[in-house]
Amino acid sequence: MSKEEVLAKKPLQVLEKIRENLEKLNEKVEVMIELQKHERKDIQQPLSDAPLDVMTLLSMPDHLRKTAMTICRLGRATANEVAEQTKRARAVESAYLNQLVIMGHLKKERNGRKAYFFVDRENQE
Amino acid sequence: MGKILAVHSYKGGTGKTLLSVNLAVTFAKHGKSVCLLDLDFRAPSLSTLLKIDKAECWLNDYLNAVCEINKVLMDLSDRIGNSGKLFVGLANPSTEAIRDMSAKDRKWEMRALGRLLALKTSLLNDKGFDYLILDTSPGLQYSSINAIVSADLVLVATTFDRSDVDGTRRMLRELYDLFEKKTEIVLNKVLDGSLRSGKDDVKTKLREVYQVPLLGIVPCFCDVLKAEGGVIFAQDKPDHPFTRIVGEMAKRIEDMS
Repeated sequence: MSKEEVLAKKPLQVLEKIRENLEKLNEKVEVMIELQKHERKDIQQPLSDAPLDVMTLLSMPDHLRKTAMTICRLGRATANEVAEQTKRARAVESAYLNQLVIMGHLKKERNGRKAYFFVDRENQE
Repeated sequence: MGKILAVHSYKGGTGKTLLSVNLAVTFAKHGKSVCLLDLDFRAPSLSTLLKIDKAECWLNDYLNAVCEINKVLMDLSDRIGNSGKLFVGLANPSTEAIRDMSAKDRKWEMRALGRLLALKTSLLNDKGFDYLILDTSPGLQYSSINAIVSADLVLVATTFDRSDVDGTRRMLRELYDLFEKKTEIVLNKVLDGSLRSGKDDVKTKLREVYQVPLLGIVPCFCDVLKAEGGVIFAQDKPDHPFTRIVGEMAKRIEDMS
């Protein structure tokens, strides 16, 4: 790789890093907003023992049901993958998914840069 | 990829099981690979209709995560000749099993939903079934709503009974719509008098009342009532008008994209 190519690549890497950090920051803000709504300081424990059964799905607000149903269908997915199905913006889905995590309906797991959301059907006591 | 059809209704006795079995046989006769599952755990009836009293494993066991789905399925393809494939999975009709299924909690129902959703991969993708037909309990039962959530298409069996019409309308708005399910109505047991003004009038009236597509109108056939659930018309009486109407409905489903 020539010196010019290395120099040209660097700004891209920096921009990518900034985007990555902004995404993480965005997720943290979303979590803080949700915690504030529920007057809580941490998410070590879910808000309640909240299995995602069909009656819970039925009683959810429409916007959250759409997101939760998509996760039910996909099994395990990123906010991007959910957004592709629902045709809503990734940031919107990310907010709804984090809200569902805080409500105790979904679990979230990081794998490198990607955050995966899923229904933890087996480990709910 | 294949499709999951849930056959549901507001009230009991609207003909869900009759429709499910005859559709399954008709699809198989059209050369399709079909799997019919009895999800009516409160009043299992497929075992009686198909004259099967023993099973290695029941659907109850699959949902209880005691066995895998291949242990539940029975191959009845030889009953319909050598056209398509017909497999069935039965609900355990014993009183103890019915009592056990009625006492399940929300977490169990959530896991059961996961096991039902997994059938899309195990039966439609891996085993290549064209249709998975879920015969359900009437009304807002957990097992029925689990089936509806898992389905690609919901067939709602209804009659002209007033409480059935009101209940079906409510379910369309407050159940199927909320889950964004594609829904088709099957109007069953229609008396001659209602059809006298013409089928088109009935169809228009139905569209106004339900505002969803109509898959078919089934007149009230005395032969079907007289058979007392002992005859599968699509299998045993290929020339009967009931068989022809079910055939037309099956064709309409096959033609859906």
